[in-house]
Amino acid sequence: MHELSIATTLVNSLLDFMQEEAAQNKLVEVHVTVGKLRAISIEQLVYSYRILTKGTLLNGSKLIVDENPATLHCSNCDFKDKFELVDDSFHFQLPTLSCPSCGASLNIEGGDELVISRVRMHGHPGRNAATRQFSI
Amino acid sequence: MTDQIDVITSEEGETFDIELEADLLKANREIASENHRRMKEYEIVAIDVMGSVGSGKTSLIKSLISSLKRRYRIAVIEGDVTTTIDADLIAIEGVPAIQVNTGKECHLDANLIRKALNHMKLNELDLIFIENVGNLICPAEFPLGSDKRLVVISVTEGPYMVVKHPLMFHNADAVAINKADLAAAMEVNPAKLEQDIAMINPRASIVTTSCRNGLGIRDVANALGLDS
Repeated sequence: MHELSIATTLVNSLLDFMQEEAAQNKLVEVHVTVGKLRAISIEQLVYSYRILTKGTLLNGSKLIVDENPATLHCSNCDFKDKFELVDDSFHFQLPTLSCPSCGASLNIEGGDELVISRVRMHGHPGRNAATRQFSI
Repeated sequence: MTDQIDVITSEEGETFDIELEADLLKANREIASENHRRMKEYEIVAIDVMGSVGSGKTSLIKSLISSLKRRYRIAVIEGDVTTTIDADLIAIEGVPAIQVNTGKECHLDANLIRKALNHMKLNELDLIFIENVGNLICPAEFPLGSDKRLVVISVTEGPYMVVKHPLMFHNADAVAINKADLAAAMEVNPAKLEQDIAMINPRASIVTTSCRNGLGIRDVANALGLDS
């Protein structure tokens, strides 16, 4: 259910962003990076985006979600491994968080991102397009 | 015939990419830190209480209040979709309660807590319980600025609540396995739930509780760093 509020923040941020763009420029695609451990349903996020952008400047633009992996790290023996799903029967399931090498408890690193990483525009790139800073 | 021919008109302009690094959760996180700073100014400890609808969050907060109110000046922020039922229940304990209704949202966010803090006499408080909206998924994504996160589950929710909602437990400081007095009737083994939680989050303090007979209430307070 919180996908709608996240999509609302996303759309509002992009509309703010578009205010600084030349009027004839159109946003075609937005890439959002979502960490694997975020409890976010990508399908619902995309669906909410489509509804919220209807009738706005962003109408017809496409939301593309890239998933970012998480890493397991043992602070005791420096063991590192990719975070893997234990079971796909639920949304996701966390693995046993003890180190297979030394038994200490494992830390999860990364996988909690929720970031607009890139927008694809159509129109005329401004001089500073590639380096433009944008904050929410 | 002409209407069957696709006409491609040349468009002005070109397609180009702009790299961004705009964190969608940053705004909430910043307000959460601001809430935290503000409560620290008054040396207030804040506890975020999360759990499913009907897990016993309000009852547990009530029990904690009666065992802590001699030592702490307490207030409660009650988050719900609608109604003031929970705030009214808390008010019976004789401590200030503020109801925050989210309307349609399934979680509290830092901005709602900021608004609630504006309505509270912070200089007259030591401890704030924030009861989140009943939900084991969404509140995990939205920090509020609290010091500790307490998750309440109950044996009446069945044996799979922990494995189905790992993220909520991953970030918890303490977990109460509530309604222990009903465990036998529900044929749910609290020790198994405890095992599931320890597997996901070995750092969390786990306490078996019953608000009916007072089991574990003091232990929850201790697990949260409070003196009962």
